[in-house]
Amino acid sequence: MVKIKYLLIGVLIVIIGILAAVIFFPNEEKRVKKQFNLLSEWVSKSPEENTFTLLQRMKNIGTLFDEHCELKVPDQSLSGSYTREEISTYEGSARSHFSQLDLKFYDLHIVFPEMEVAKVTLTSRLTGKSTAGEQVDETRELECVLRKIENKWLFSQIEVVEVLKK
Amino acid sequence: MAVNNKIRQFFFPSLTPKFLIRVSLVALFAYLFFGYLCIPFTIQGISMEPTYHHGGVNFCWRLRYLFSEPKGHDVVAVRFAGSKVMLLKRVVAQEGEQVEFRDGKLFVDGKEIEEPYVRYPCTWNLSPRQVEKDCIYVVGDNRSMPNENHYFGQASKSRIMGVPLW
Repeated sequence: MVKIKYLLIGVLIVIIGILAAVIFFPNEEKRVKKQFNLLSEWVSKSPEENTFTLLQRMKNIGTLFDEHCELKVPDQSLSGSYTREEISTYEGSARSHFSQLDLKFYDLHIVFPEMEVAKVTLTSRLTGKSTAGEQVDETRELECVLRKIENKWLFSQIEVVEVLKK
Repeated sequence: MAVNNKIRQFFFPSLTPKFLIRVSLVALFAYLFFGYLCIPFTIQGISMEPTYHHGGVNFCWRLRYLFSEPKGHDVVAVRFAGSKVMLLKRVVAQEGEQVEFRDGKLFVDGKEIEEPYVRYPCTWNLSPRQVEKDCIYVVGDNRSMPNENHYFGQASKSRIMGVPLW
């Protein structure tokens, strides 16, 4: 009886240990996904957003990017290397054209082609309302590269996949 | 009484092992069939009017091009983002062919192509361009809007998901 009791306690400790390891030491894939969740949260905008939140989010977004990030967005003629400050400013200016924005990411497919580099293919969906009252609903496939710098996964390349080339 | 029992048995069957196995097999078959072979989708947008209407429901038959290649005038589903977002378009040219629009008329390799499925007036002009290797050129049937507002162009054959069932 005593032996069974010790065995059960042992099993319980092992289960708690595994759960703690999963929760407190997330694997790299989870950490990469977290960056996308943060990007989605900080780009999204509610109609009640005040100036303080706006500035805070603009500042926060910059922290998700590498010092220089390669952007390729054919629809917006946005192509080249941008600093995180430029991205924050561009993002702030783009957000000001919308009264409401919701950015969501789906179907994230993450691979690690080399050490400290993650390549992610995903679907992004941007919905919202422009300040002119126009409804926006855009879906695109993205290819992103994130690099692990000082233990943080940072966006170093974002490309909108051009499915149909005129 | 016997009829009542049969009806009750039909709607509320006893959970026998045989019944559970049958239900599991049906569920597995449905998951594989509708998840990978015959994918249901709803049509959003008017780019294939009047052939396909906004809000219509259809199925994407994935085995259509298992042993053949898409042909001219076929309607195909092109994978646009992830595995769930597809574009419904019509094939107008194959790899190596030259596509051009002159006053709304389609020319392939310099020859005017008759398109009975295009019912709305079109005034598009597009300079000649050659379809690259392993690609096809796809366009929607509704060309009443300016060509800048219509998704069309060259798509990689690897992005062809299949054809609509009807």
